[in-house]
Amino acid sequence: MTKIAFVTAGGSKTEVPAQDGDSLMQVALEHGIEEITAECGGAMMCSTCHVYIDDAWFAKVGAAPEEELDLLGFASCEVRDNSRLSCQVKVSSELDGMVVHLPESQV
Amino acid sequence: MPQAPINDTVTIHQLIDDPYPIYRRFRQETPVVHVKAVGRTMLTKAAHTRAVKDNPGLFSSDDPGTPQTLAFRTRTMMRKDGEEHMCERMAMAPALSPKNLKQIWVPGYEVLTEKYLDALPRGEVVDLFSLLAGPISGRKVADFCGLTQVSDDDMQRWCQTLIDAAGNFGWFQDLFDKADKVNDEVDAAVAQSIVRLQGADDQSALATMINAENPIPLSQIQANLKLAISGGVNESRDSMLTTIFGLLTNPDQLEEVKRTNGWGGAFEEAVRWVAPIQVSSRRVTEDTEIGGIDIPKDEVVMTVQASSNHDEELFDEPEKFNAFRRPNPHQSFGSGPHHCFGTHLARMTVGKTMLPLIFERFPNMQLVDPDTVKWTGFGFRGPLSMPVRLQ
Repeated sequence: MTKIAFVTAGGSKTEVPAQDGDSLMQVALEHGIEEITAECGGAMMCSTCHVYIDDAWFAKVGAAPEEELDLLGFASCEVRDNSRLSCQVKVSSELDGMVVHLPESQV
Repeated sequence: MPQAPINDTVTIHQLIDDPYPIYRRFRQETPVVHVKAVGRTMLTKAAHTRAVKDNPGLFSSDDPGTPQTLAFRTRTMMRKDGEEHMCERMAMAPALSPKNLKQIWVPGYEVLTEKYLDALPRGEVVDLFSLLAGPISGRKVADFCGLTQVSDDDMQRWCQTLIDAAGNFGWFQDLFDKADKVNDEVDAAVAQSIVRLQGADDQSALATMINAENPIPLSQIQANLKLAISGGVNESRDSMLTTIFGLLTNPDQLEEVKRTNGWGGAFEEAVRWVAPIQVSSRRVTEDTEIGGIDIPKDEVVMTVQASSNHDEELFDEPEKFNAFRRPNPHQSFGSGPHHCFGTHLARMTVGKTMLPLIFERFPNMQLVDPDTVKWTGFGFRGPLSMPVRLQ
């Protein structure tokens, strides 16, 4: 099974199994990653599932498309080139071992 | 599987006065319960309410029995699903883009806040409900809607009247009659504003909707503005007052919030503690089960986010105000496609603008007597007054 590692702003790392086809947000919620608030549940309304994709993995995931980038304007932490909404990133075997960094806050 | 147990002892008046002890008992004993007094099956656990809101296919917003349709004289987007809902929501969404929020609405609210704070009398007891929180919330929503000519008082009256009729499950005719009159007033104000805003370079909700390439019908434009009024005025007022109350009754927290600039966290905790909108409804589209209880097709379930926000499985000492509660996964803005449209505006204006400014202006503000502050409401809840002494 694909594994994804979430790393908090403080540096603590949690590696969890992830179902291919699920969104990163769903994976985080399923495994109690508290730093993902995901207030709207993936409906592209809220920008509270903001993550930073690790540089080594970013090329595989790709940059946020325009609509997502607009919504990221609501994010409470700094938006960087590797910012994504985790509800919009689909897990696949290609991403096995990916490291995802969590912002300090979501609201 | 068993049917939902029926509760025929709880009254609507008990729910209006203080629902929290009732919800605590429901969570412990009968988390999915049919409450006769409201004629709905209540869901009182956080996991259940969240799951319902996140699954709009199984739990539809289209509730043919809602009094809201009569109250607003049309079926609003709040009671629609899928494309139909998105089309009407997205027609208004550009008005609240991150850019507009940061360049127009928040700076505008800063100016408003200074003006309303300047006008408060000093050295005497002041009711922040009627002199600050109500009027400024009315003003904010009027400006956002593009109804700049409407007075603060009218905005507050419209909001209250529309809410009373939308939640009129007793189907009292007089509440619909009053709403009918308000509908006329809103529609007239909208018509007046359209003349001014047609083709104008203006970012208000009305201008955004009428000047779009393919505008939605006028009836839905009017409905969207009525939703913004009914969902934006009282709720901003109540969240503001609840945060102020929470901080004034917990001076240690207030000092720490000032020191750490933790206003946003205090605001989140206030809306968790007393959710301005306490319940919502969803119609079940297929036979299903929730928490081991059978829920038949077409049943309307009531998600009680007020209860979810006090669910002991997620929150320690949920009855206490704690501005430093982290994480704070409350459901006061809902979730799923109907996630509160004004969330970001509320967080930025009430949470991050008003709160620091009022406590900076009045560092020694004191509640006259916390016990005299009365809280009320079942569908919508907040304090009835907030008398403070300003120095």
